[in-house]
Amino acid sequence: MLAFITVGSTRFDGLIKSVFSPSVLASLSNKGYTNIVVQCGNSDFPYVHLLAHGEESFQLEKDGVTIECWKFKPSLQTNCERADLVISHAGSGTIVDVLRMDKPLIVVPNPTLADNHQQELATALEKLGHLRSSTTSQLANTIQEFDASSLTKFPPFDGSRFRKLLDEEMGFF
Amino acid sequence: MLVSQALILYRSDPSRDSLSIAMFYIIICAVLLVATVCIRVYCILPKPIVPERPKKSAENRTLAVFLGSGGHTSEMLALVSSLDFDRYFPRIYIISGDDTLSERKAAALEATKAASSHSTSKNSDAYTFLVIPRARKVHQSLLTTPFTALLSVIESFYHVALASSHQKGQFADVLVLNGPGTCLTLCLAVYLNKFFGLASPKMVYIESFARVQTLSLSGKLLRFLVDRFVVQWPQLLQDGKRGEYHGWLI
Repeated sequence: MLAFITVGSTRFDGLIKSVFSPSVLASLSNKGYTNIVVQCGNSDFPYVHLLAHGEESFQLEKDGVTIECWKFKPSLQTNCERADLVISHAGSGTIVDVLRMDKPLIVVPNPTLADNHQQELATALEKLGHLRSSTTSQLANTIQEFDASSLTKFPPFDGSRFRKLLDEEMGFF
Repeated sequence: MLVSQALILYRSDPSRDSLSIAMFYIIICAVLLVATVCIRVYCILPKPIVPERPKKSAENRTLAVFLGSGGHTSEMLALVSSLDFDRYFPRIYIISGDDTLSERKAAALEATKAASSHSTSKNSDAYTFLVIPRARKVHQSLLTTPFTALLSVIESFYHVALASSHQKGQFADVLVLNGPGTCLTLCLAVYLNKFFGLASPKMVYIESFARVQTLSLSGKLLRFLVDRFVVQWPQLLQDGKRGEYHGWLI
């Protein structure tokens, strides 16, 4: 199976370092995710030098997992669609995109961001059963205990709510 | 008139008493001026009464939305996508600074809507972009921020107050905001407009889906200034203050 890891449009050193650590790779491999694709953004981590001279991506085998890694792509749609598991920073845009594709999702809020606002959304959605929230240090455990079938389906986009709200305000009856 | 009387008094008899009287008249003037401004501001703030609806249901409404870049743009475009474009035209997408990505995303949405539209009216395809300078760029020094913010307010006011390119003679019927930054200057511009008694858009603020327990700074500042303040998580209304919750809108 394939796992896709993404940090969004900036960087998240802690998450990428954690992903490349032996414990996380072991958990991934144990659960059957023997192929992983890592979108590392501008993150700093032990293998970042492999992308230092204009290389688009690198590939390596480590701890029983085949890893492909690159910085950015215009759209992550295809990678998410191909993945059996997505591990992501807790940006709301990414979360909604992935959940609407009905992909199993583990999010790791980035604690270095202003007032840790990613944590609020991650916690709230975990309570509703739509995803699992973790930390860079707990990631290996979360993956080990992860059960995709226990997740609740995220509701589809319902445009009627905003449409009704604005129509009512504007006098359309 | 009171001020000139005070000055005449002072010139004719520059004693301590007349100075006091002059000061008294000046203070009364100042108080009256401040009171007038306050009364006017109170008159233009939104109130919890059903507003009059002078338009016929069949007429179109001009829609303006502010695309705040990044996640704000994505959420706003999702909201706009749910609207009937035969009801809301022309549409104005307000971009701040050099945010070309938001411009492209908006253009893509318009193309998608046009492709799936069964409307024969060309009017409903009408949309434009309006660029407002950012109130503050990322990492910009806080020393220069008041100046750029002021410039942003002035240019926003210029477009909101003096827009005559739309048939109704006003900027838009409704302005939808969801943060961040520059949407505050837009709100201020609308209030300046209202202060001078000019036709102004209704303002609708939709707090981001990412805000669960606490409002964003823009949300906190605009909560009591906009006509409709909408949140997407019910916890945000636990303080019992103004706001509406209609579930997730995105």
